[in-house]
Amino acid sequence: MTGRADAPVETTRIPVSADEQREIETFLFLEARLADESRYDEWEALVTDDMHYWVPAGPAEGDPTATLSYINDNRARLATRIRQLQTGSRHAQTPASVMRRLLANIEVLAVGDDGATYVTTANFVLYELAAQSTQELRVWPGRVRHTLRRVDGQLRMAAKVVELVTATRPQPNLAFIL
Amino acid sequence: MAGTESRDRPPAAVDYRSLVSDDRVHGSLYHDPAVFDDEMEAIFTRGWAFVGHESEVPNPGDWVSRRLGREPVLLTRHRSGAVHVVANRCSHRGTALCWAAKGTANRFQCNYHAWTFDLDGTLVAVPYPAGFDRSKDELGLDRPGQVESYRGFVFANLDGSAGPLATHLGEGGTGLIDRLCDLSPTGRIDVSRGWIGHKVSSNWKMWPESDNDGYHLNWVHASMVDATPDTYYNETVLGGETGNQSRAVDWGDGHVELDFRPSYQRALAWLGTTADRVPGYCQALEQARGPERAHRLLWDGPPHALVFPNLFLGEMNLAIIEPVSPTEMVHWHTAVQLEGVDDAFNARLRRQSEAAMGPAAFIVPDDAVTAERIQGALAGARPGWAASGRGWLDVSRGARREQAGPRGERAALVSDETTNRGFWRQYRRVMASRLAPPTGGPTYGGAA
Ligand code: FES
Ligand SMILES: [Fe+2]
Repeated sequence: MTGRADAPVETTRIPVSADEQREIETFLFLEARLADESRYDEWEALVTDDMHYWVPAGPAEGDPTATLSYINDNRARLATRIRQLQTGSRHAQTPASVMRRLLANIEVLAVGDDGATYVTTANFVLYELAAQSTQELRVWPGRVRHTLRRVDGQLRMAAKVVELVTATRPQPNLAFIL
Repeated sequence: MAGTESRDRPPAAVDYRSLVSDDRVHGSLYHDPAVFDDEMEAIFTRGWAFVGHESEVPNPGDWVSRRLGREPVLLTRHRSGAVHVVANRCSHRGTALCWAAKGTANRFQCNYHAWTFDLDGTLVAVPYPAGFDRSKDELGLDRPGQVESYRGFVFANLDGSAGPLATHLGEGGTGLIDRLCDLSPTGRIDVSRGWIGHKVSSNWKMWPESDNDGYHLNWVHASMVDATPDTYYNETVLGGETGNQSRAVDWGDGHVELDFRPSYQRALAWLGTTADRVPGYCQALEQARGPERAHRLLWDGPPHALVFPNLFLGEMNLAIIEPVSPTEMVHWHTAVQLEGVDDAFNARLRRQSEAAMGPAAFIVPDDAVTAERIQGALAGARPGWAASGRGWLDVSRGARREQAGPRGERAALVSDETTNRGFWRQYRRVMASRLAPPTGGPTYGGAA
């Protein structure tokens, strides 16, 4: 599996042009909406061939391979995850959770030397109705960091790192795309 | 203490002998608060339960936080090298001493009035000591009456009257732990790579059951099979009732296993690899155990078993079943790491652990949603329904074809409910006998 750590992150916001900022935000909102609506094919079309999807059980620091994470997917494992969700018998998401998430505090933290890679951060709150089990509302607050890369002119996701506020505590089923 | 209170009440207000029979179990046992109280006493206070592994506290001063039933405890490593279990509760007026999951400390100092404790629970210092008439020796932290470890697995019995750990584990339990540890060239495993907590809205007893149920895989885990068609589950538990040679085994005393060994068609099938891909490991094991024994170990792999009541040896995962309330539990897991093997090998085990267990894994979330569906459907089952035949759960599958094995175990087809029956038989025995008034003997406390 992947040995990749999170992309380097500066603490100060990097100024980007208004057009870039808008393009980045448009991408992040699309990604969020496709995840909310469990539109797996369209969501998967947004990722690069070397996508890393990481949900650590604590702060997103250090080597993701050294300890256990909730999710630590390289591209192949992410493909398996989506394939499983599409079997129609992934009981933990049958029916799929009803979800809506809010994204805020979007900042660009780093721009690659090539001008085609951005590291972004955003806060989020995801509301999930556990429609397949307890019917309760589950609330998932956190921060998401994306590494976005321009591929053939289009922004794509090369990394998505989700730091849950509750990461160090036990989590209920997390079988959807966070 | 819950322990002392419930000693005074009439024994067995809930009639466990009538609610658990050899082939069925009453649904009220999964949500009745009185039952949960009884379990915290009979199983987690008066019986042995797993606390943690010595590799979690490798150095002097290391501690990890756990729960034994409702009791918050710390597993610690003392300067002397000894491992201790102490209450995570100041013996002055009850403040929790530690609130993180783990840490390292020279001493535990309470933030309320600064009483200071050694890692073995001894009270070391109090501010303004002249005001106290009691000696410090009497005021240490509460400690379980019994703490023993077997091959690094630390168990405790709060009450102290449960008899030796060896009796609780029996040959069945020690044999299971041996089969895991012997896979390490040094004979030692390491479980220090972090625990993942999976919170499930179900009664804790669904997990000894579901973790060791060989009947459900074709349905609950159909999506995992479809998405990853090449796993060893094909030859060990799938393929129909007689499509494999695996066995459901009751080792006695509540220790139960899905024994995959007879199904494996080659060495290291359980690791999803072959010997030529992990030569370093194979050589290390051969050197340590000799070629014949190493060959056997590499073929058989780790057990898939419950050590009663709360330790699941999930092949190369360790899981702790933590009851939280009648309707909530946490399934904690971590990856087993083999000492004396390179990190590339152990990293593979970590990644497999992430794939199998935890809230986002490919397997256990489907068990969790099933457990939650069961819990919701049982919510109305009252003990009073038992007599009229309502609210019963059937665990009779394969009872008539169980066979006695050479070590006194009972075994049947892997899809038979021998494992469920083994768990419930011990449950009934413990719940019906340990809630009787005590005959004396040590009790949980600091003045041990
Ligand atoms: S409660 Fe801990 S020192 Fe008083
Ligand atoms: Fe299962």
